[in-house]
Amino acid sequence: MSTQFDKLLPLLVRGDVEFILIGGVAGNIHGSARLTFDVDAVYSRSSENIKRLAKVLQPIDPYLRGAPPGLPFSWDERTIRNGLNFTLTTALGDLDLLGEVVGGGGYRDLLSHTFEVEAYDVKFKCVDLPTLIKLKRAAGRPKDLESLAELQALLDEQQK
Amino acid sequence: MKAKTYRDPVVEVYMRDVDRTLLRENLKLSHAQRLEKLVSFSAFASTLREAGKRARSKKG
Repeated sequence: MSTQFDKLLPLLVRGDVEFILIGGVAGNIHGSARLTFDVDAVYSRSSENIKRLAKVLQPIDPYLRGAPPGLPFSWDERTIRNGLNFTLTTALGDLDLLGEVVGGGGYRDLLSHTFEVEAYDVKFKCVDLPTLIKLKRAAGRPKDLESLAELQALLDEQQK
Repeated sequence: MKAKTYRDPVVEVYMRDVDRTLLRENLKLSHAQRLEKLVSFSAFASTLREAGKRARSKKG
């Protein structure tokens, strides 16, 4: 099943979840031509936001991606509070929710490096291109080299 | 004056192979249009994956 970006993002926004889009979808928003299969988002760790995140995702059955079926995993406030970064599969596709990201910190740290995107009749925050490059570089994964090159080329194109 | 940003020499090597024509086409689109393109490409890839799975299971 492909991730339904057009349903997942509005669901988070309409549930008043505070999040910042990073990763491949953010890259696409900046003009990347690379296909991505999940949504990566840094979420606010405030108690209110954790409550909202728990409530809004419950109907789409979040479960730990790659974990064997039948684990006693329950998507609720307690789970979110006791964890930090979650790689989830949901009825709308794969969703990575990060309380902190290497090279960028948490939601509040990243907030000043975002801009607002309007799509699917909602508005949400997306990380800016220089910061997205910084995050990819900090992740230090060899598989990101091609993607980093593309993002750098996009930055060059935009600065022309 | 523009601030100098660090450029990774390894990434610079990879940049030679980036198809900038695709990027320039994408940059002509709005953010929403770029997302629409991702959604439709993703659905297309998913259809191909499923077709591949079906073909493999028929063979096996």
